[in-house]
Amino acid sequence: MLGIFKILLRNLRQGPATHPFPFAEAHTPPRFRGRVTMLPEKCVGCGVCAHVCPGEAIRLQPSLDNTGYSFSIWHNSCALCGSCRHFCPTGAISLTNDWHLSHRQSEKYTTAEHHLVPYLRCAGCGEPIRMLPPELAARIYAHKPPGVENLGELMKLCPACRRLEILKREAIAAANA
Amino acid sequence: MSFISDMTVRSPWLFRINAGSCNGCDVELATTAFIPRYDVERLGCKYCGSPRHADIVFITGPLTVRMKDKVLRVWHDIPEPKVTIAVGICPISGGVFRGGHPIAGPVDRYLPVDVNVPGCPPRPQAIMEGVLLAKDIWLERVRAQEEARQSLKKLGARPEEKKEEPFIDAGYL
Repeated sequence: MLGIFKILLRNLRQGPATHPFPFAEAHTPPRFRGRVTMLPEKCVGCGVCAHVCPGEAIRLQPSLDNTGYSFSIWHNSCALCGSCRHFCPTGAISLTNDWHLSHRQSEKYTTAEHHLVPYLRCAGCGEPIRMLPPELAARIYAHKPPGVENLGELMKLCPACRRLEILKREAIAAANA
Repeated sequence: MSFISDMTVRSPWLFRINAGSCNGCDVELATTAFIPRYDVERLGCKYCGSPRHADIVFITGPLTVRMKDKVLRVWHDIPEPKVTIAVGICPISGGVFRGGHPIAGPVDRYLPVDVNVPGCPPRPQAIMEGVLLAKDIWLERVRAQEEARQSLKKLGARPEEKKEEPFIDAGYL
């Protein structure tokens, strides 16, 4: 008999167990794996995200006029596994904690994120090249080729021109030494 | 529409069809319904055990070839007006199973889907958002049906008897 009063008191103290969700905002942990998003200024276009994506939700395609490449994520095929974020070398892809993805059928093919990442032009030959961010360049050229003070200048060249430039500078440095 | 019918909103009954799901989305659906933390019955929804009593139907799973005819049969058993919700990425797009040899889906190739709830699995609150969307659509359809019936009545015409259409087996083999 007393047991029910105990339960009543406890329920009064604790309040309702039901979350008030549709009438108030739901609690979302900050690290909740929700909608995938991407920063085009950090993307190097390596395509590892599209390669590891189990649902083929990510697609990278060169644009028709060859001015850049398009990057798209279709949220309706994304399993929110986070592989793209794990394998992205520059941290361009991240998972937000936004889970409000329910939509009507008319919006099925528009619940996606599209970016057009433009190509840069090689300062030497004018070929379109993909952007290489400074952090990644510092990792690639960790040995610091002789005669190169500023990596930023090298990064404005296409790989072929860059190789030539490094060779040229190495030769000059060797001749000086 | 009278004042009373405006004030008394009908409650949709929910039914779920597993079209070859891994059970992840089904667990989330059960969570939405049966644990007091999310409690979908607050929204006036109730799970039912028979498709003939259902108003809103959840479909989970990528629609495997073996399940396709069964799913279609059960779906055709649900009386109109009905609203179909695709829960999880599998029924919406095929998800990680897209293009596999035992997959006949996505579901909207065979059925008119109304609401999509992506996620693998979607969290219970996302499913509840989908239910709210579906409830709006369903109430619109109920109202439209009611208006059609009223206008037929005014004309003095008898509502057309809906003939029981035999289920046509799409045939996959």
